[in-house]
Amino acid sequence: MSFSLGYGTNGFANHRLDDALRMIADLGYTSVALTLDHHHLDPYAAGVSGETTRVAHLLSSLGLRCVVETGARYLLDPTRKHHPTLVSDDTDVRIDFLHRAIRIAADLGADCVSFWSGIKPSDVDDTTARRRMLDGVGKVLVEADRRQVRIGLEPEPGMFVQHLAQAIALRDELGKPELLGITLDVGHCVAVEPMDAAECVRHAAGLLVNVQLDDMRLGMHEHLEFGEGELDLPGTLAALAEVGYTGVAAVELPRHSHAAPDVARRAIEALTAALPVLPAEVEPVGDVDNPWLADAERRVRAEPTAIRALFPAVGRKVGREALRPDTDPQGLVHGTVDDLARQRLLAALAAVLPPTRLAEEVTELYRYGDDAERRGVLRGLASLPLSAVDAGLELVQDALRTNDIRLVAAALGPFAGEHLDQHSWRHGVLKCLFVGVPLAAVADTDRRADAELLRMVADYADERRAAGRAVPADAVSLLETS
Amino acid sequence: MRIFDPHIHMTSRTTDDYEAMFAAGVRAIVEPAFWLGQPRTTVGSFKDYFDALIGWERFRAAQFGIRHHCTIALNPKEANDPRCTPVLDILPRYLAKDGVVAVGEVGYDSMTPEEDDAFARQLAMAVEHELPALVHTPHRDKLAGTRRTLDVLKESGIAPEAVAVDHLNEVTVELVKDSGCWLGFSIYPDTKMDEDRMVAILKQFGTDKVLVNSAADWGRSDPLKTYKTARRMLEAGFTESDVDKVLWRNPVDFYGQSGRLVLDELPGFAPSAETFAGNSVLRGGRR
Repeated sequence: MSFSLGYGTNGFANHRLDDALRMIADLGYTSVALTLDHHHLDPYAAGVSGETTRVAHLLSSLGLRCVVETGARYLLDPTRKHHPTLVSDDTDVRIDFLHRAIRIAADLGADCVSFWSGIKPSDVDDTTARRRMLDGVGKVLVEADRRQVRIGLEPEPGMFVQHLAQAIALRDELGKPELLGITLDVGHCVAVEPMDAAECVRHAAGLLVNVQLDDMRLGMHEHLEFGEGELDLPGTLAALAEVGYTGVAAVELPRHSHAAPDVARRAIEALTAALPVLPAEVEPVGDVDNPWLADAERRVRAEPTAIRALFPAVGRKVGREALRPDTDPQGLVHGTVDDLARQRLLAALAAVLPPTRLAEEVTELYRYGDDAERRGVLRGLASLPLSAVDAGLELVQDALRTNDIRLVAAALGPFAGEHLDQHSWRHGVLKCLFVGVPLAAVADTDRRADAELLRMVADYADERRAAGRAVPADAVSLLETS
Repeated sequence: MRIFDPHIHMTSRTTDDYEAMFAAGVRAIVEPAFWLGQPRTTVGSFKDYFDALIGWERFRAAQFGIRHHCTIALNPKEANDPRCTPVLDILPRYLAKDGVVAVGEVGYDSMTPEEDDAFARQLAMAVEHELPALVHTPHRDKLAGTRRTLDVLKESGIAPEAVAVDHLNEVTVELVKDSGCWLGFSIYPDTKMDEDRMVAILKQFGTDKVLVNSAADWGRSDPLKTYKTARRMLEAGFTESDVDKVLWRNPVDFYGQSGRLVLDELPGFAPSAETFAGNSVLRGGRR
């Protein structure tokens, strides 16, 4: 599965943090949305740095990924819920809190810090609120940049930024900062968005850094257990898989703490039942689910640069066999066991690195990679976020310049099908015919084969015949079926 | 007869060579990183060369039924060029690769302080990465150079059985044999060793820890010298098993210390295959 199912600690508000984390892990969740609060890793406590290290170790030992949430109710002001905010009079308190959250997230190795705008006070006009929001997020981004932590703006019903479109517009106005993404609560989509949750997921696709899962009814901002509202859970999870989301998707039921253990158990049962059945190509193969790989994924999440030493070792550790040796002995079409394992490591990397560093690291893995590592990178490109597309295209072009059939085959998978320009794609297909890569290895031929490609292939067939040579069967069938 | 050539620079050879080698029984080779004849001027040039050794050349060899491995290092000659020495910093990345079975060729060319430094640093890398080392001995001032080489090896703390000292001859063989290192001999048309002298050395010193290679490169050399030496051994009364030991089991044992040798047969190459029918030359279309 591409994304990681988690549970929010604000749904375990009556538990000690350690107990909550252990229960969440025991129930089978693989991540946690950690709401910083007075009793859960208090950012204002004297020993916060030591406590953060301790929690980081606990998360790591439980195998939990994490995102940091900042929606605690009475952490900053014991008298007024959620106060102060980014749009109230005294924004500095909130900004300082978010800075602290970013530092904690960096030390925890968390994916991101989530935050919302706040309710606009009745005596503040829209212009002032907007200016405060832009200024405030700008200041938060300074710390985010310093610590290289992504932050996710969450549209929250009733708040100044309550719709996905508003959050995206605000991001645009800030100049589309790489580290500023979107946190999407799929229940909110049901309650207040003009489109359903699956559409929202597709709309926000490349910007998603965090997802919250819960049910809701149309027009009602009340977090419900799955099945109690109108959310299309299977459709929403399928959309997350479809857009290649690889981050945390954690259950958000802050008003169910009184019955947390039962609620959390019911939630994972509902989620497991609703998960999309992945196509066979991306189903984990038995051999790949070995302890070394699981440990390697954890190490990459904890320390991303560990991938530099792990990536070359994959073949030695998990094997190198073709995934479908009977029909595809060289792994040109379906890839190999080590290809698949490297894709998993890349997905783990993508989940923890901010966009610029991810693009750099993936490029380095390819540049310093041997043929097998390069293949792994090429086959993993499709599961990286959209921010990595430009870097990925350069690698695909590089691979298509080689004469190594395994690289050429790996380069023309779903990523190239989606993103490679038509001219390069056509030449890639023709190259496959030249060097003997089965066209089954090329993704999206049905959709992308055009008249110009057919002309090129027909000319190639003529040239072969003129030389008294056989025309590759794949060329013949392409010309016949199109 | 199965042959493992433990030292050959295929980057400089043609596909005809690959075909002839396969036909003669060569099924596995190690290509040490070395000088290219034309001096390099940038680290990038090394990177491209290393990338070819772990990628393209490995693929090319596989097209002809031959398992290709390599060794990675800054060679002694270019260790003297300050434009090249920063390559030492990127070596660890390559030493982690699947196809890299040793650090090499390291050692001496002109025995300068720069060569001392590069040699010592790379031996430390071999120890750290748990890889054997392939050590080149100088062509000029060979005996003194070999003595100094053995001193440096001793100081480095690398185990003698993890080291092959290469390009030995009648003058240097005994010295190296006493050190406990593996004994490498390059069989050349004119220089270095020839087949008859090799057979004489084998008779005198035995077959233990002896590695016979062609060291074929861009100069006048012959990639079939391993095969020709094997023939000469049989003619001189050595058994098939002696030949298999020197030309297969010994290099397997030496480089096998890396834990990275892959020697199973390549798909599509039956043990008795004598032709290459059906294999693409990957240029200008398939025949």
